[in-house]
Amino acid sequence: MDMSQYRELFLSEAREHLDKMNKLAVALEQEPDDLEMINALFREAHSIKGMAATMGYEATSRLAHHLEDALDGCRQSGRLSETLADRLLEGIDLLETLVEDIKAGNPEQDVSFFLEAPTDETEDGEFAELSPIQAADEEPAAAGEAAEGTPAVSPEPETFQVLMTLAKNAAMPAARGLLLLRELENRGEVIACDPDRETMQAGFPLKQLKAWFRTAQKRDFLQEVLLAFPDVEQVDFIDDRRQEAARSGEEAVRTVRIRTDLLDRFVNLAGELLTQRHVLRASSGKRDWPGVDAALEETGRLVGELHHHVLRTRLMPLESVAGRLPRIVRDLGRKTGKQVAFRLIGGEVGIDRVILDQLADPLVHLVRNAVDHGIADSGEVMVSARRERDMVLVEVRDTGTGMDPEALRQKAVEKGLLSASQAAELSDREALLLICRPGFSTADEVTETSGRGVGMDVVKAAVEDLGGTLDILSAPQAGTRFLLRLPLSIAIIKLILVRCCGMPLALPVTRVQRIIELPREQIHQESETPWFALDEERIPLVPLAELLGQKRPAIEPVACVVLTEWHGVQVGLLVGGFVGHRDAFVKPLGFPLDRTAGLSGAAIEGDGSVLFIVDPQPLLAERSVDFLPHKMEEKDAP
Amino acid sequence: MSLRVMIVDDALFMRNMLKDIFTRAGFEVVAESEDGQAALEDYRRVQPDLVTMDIVMPKRSGIEALRDIIGEDPKACVVMVSALGQDSLVLEAVESGARDFIVKPFKEDNVLDVVRRVAS
Repeated sequence: MDMSQYRELFLSEAREHLDKMNKLAVALEQEPDDLEMINALFREAHSIKGMAATMGYEATSRLAHHLEDALDGCRQSGRLSETLADRLLEGIDLLETLVEDIKAGNPEQDVSFFLEAPTDETEDGEFAELSPIQAADEEPAAAGEAAEGTPAVSPEPETFQVLMTLAKNAAMPAARGLLLLRELENRGEVIACDPDRETMQAGFPLKQLKAWFRTAQKRDFLQEVLLAFPDVEQVDFIDDRRQEAARSGEEAVRTVRIRTDLLDRFVNLAGELLTQRHVLRASSGKRDWPGVDAALEETGRLVGELHHHVLRTRLMPLESVAGRLPRIVRDLGRKTGKQVAFRLIGGEVGIDRVILDQLADPLVHLVRNAVDHGIADSGEVMVSARRERDMVLVEVRDTGTGMDPEALRQKAVEKGLLSASQAAELSDREALLLICRPGFSTADEVTETSGRGVGMDVVKAAVEDLGGTLDILSAPQAGTRFLLRLPLSIAIIKLILVRCCGMPLALPVTRVQRIIELPREQIHQESETPWFALDEERIPLVPLAELLGQKRPAIEPVACVVLTEWHGVQVGLLVGGFVGHRDAFVKPLGFPLDRTAGLSGAAIEGDGSVLFIVDPQPLLAERSVDFLPHKMEEKDAP
Repeated sequence: MSLRVMIVDDALFMRNMLKDIFTRAGFEVVAESEDGQAALEDYRRVQPDLVTMDIVMPKRSGIEALRDIIGEDPKACVVMVSALGQDSLVLEAVESGARDFIVKPFKEDNVLDVVRRVAS
């Protein structure tokens, strides 16, 4: 759940509670044994604790909890002592600072100095017997150890989220949720949970129970305990990111948090500037203005630099989505009884936030597959990333049994996806890409040699949607490598400009393998789909105009061919000519143009005209029957 | 040391079925009670490690019997045996201190999983 939408609400409500606490604390100092006021203060602290915990503001919730416990002590002793009153006010001040931190978008400051500060409060014992958090943790921790006889306890209590997923057909899920909650309460401190207790008591049919939990017990031990419950299908732990943010306090001094939509705006504006630069250049080219050209040149350079830096603000380290992978590998390894090591290389490599978002699920897919189907008994899964000019190369690699292209060819034939001759036509690389065909294989029938099709079609589609490409390298007993080549940023892309149907059109450079000028004599036109030979491969030629629904143009004496690829098959697009290449800020198309297959966006030309960006993939998909190797063969057959 | 189990159910058929399951698993069935009222008396007498408790029974319901037993022995391990659709009763039982629940019709493995987990 995205909590950010509740942030403003949290801030304003916390503010109200703090105001009340301030008033009450001061009033209580005058009448220290007014139990009603003590109760009211307790409730305020309790509310802040719950809200902060739900939002994941750990320091705030811990501090509120601390105050709540102190006030609970007062409830029992019946009065607020003088020293405690001072401390209470100090605590409220500190809470206010924390809320201010959150409001300013800064990490919460460390409050342990306050929580652990020795107090000379001994007469009433309220604060003397605190720290409540430790007290709460030690007891269940010890219980866990005694019960198990193993060191189930971490040295330091940790706060994290526990996500318990129930089976689809779980009987009486609400009762199950309450039992799980009770189990957690016996083993640590449940700061908050979702759905909350009342909701479950009302019989709400939950599918998942999420708890913000603080405990000294070890996670694998907890996981075992929770998985032993009937109908509990999965138990995940999610680290409290804020805790990490707090740890990197030094970095915090030099960084400011900015809302991401503001960053997106910067990127947009920088993109617009870049476009205007082209417009300026185009119009100034017609006149001779001394000084203006030089200034334009300089402005162009500055705009380019500005754009470069603005784009950098959107880069986030791969680590930010790869963080959960070690956990996934570990859990899956344990479940399948395999010894799997995990390594992340280049986790610091920055990738556009938008791309990273889309990449998260495919990465998980690939890593899961690597453990599930790649590794036999033991091995290593490695995720690495590196920059390669304007691209980022992300690789998921395992040291497993690898895949046999021949076995994949056979399977494709068995499944009726390809005929024997079609299968034989496929290169090894194309054969490996068969696993990305929808329906090629399903999880339960996958073996090491027959491939691994779990969601691979989804992975490939996701990578291609981002303007990237997916490649697979594998051989029996040699492990498997999935290579994801992604653009660094999707807002600005490099375009190849071609002429087609008498107008310029652009193709994303990520879709272009090569451009070739081809003498007409080298084109075989005897079959319906013309072709030419390249590196001993037979490359079908499809006129781009025809893909766009125009008449098939005659082939020029020197044909211009853009070599692209569709599902591992190389295809040559015949265009009317090459115009050039440029960086462009891509604008999404509005309705109804956005419904046009193959039009992926538009850019503004130097003269203000619109340049359409064509993504050949969906167009080729519609026409694939005409150029897939087997079809050509059939057509050629007498 | 085998687990000492007490079965509370008004239907002889269910008692026998559970008894067979537990005996096969190597547990010792130390008492069988026919209703909620007898349950408390039996519990006091045999002090079992674990009780399986039907919910709908004559005289005193399983939930009342559960509360009686927990009232005397807060550490009592009581597992409710419920029919499908008795969600609110099971919720009530869980709130009253039942350690877990089994839903009828049940499978032998499920029953044993629950009992073993609760007893451990």
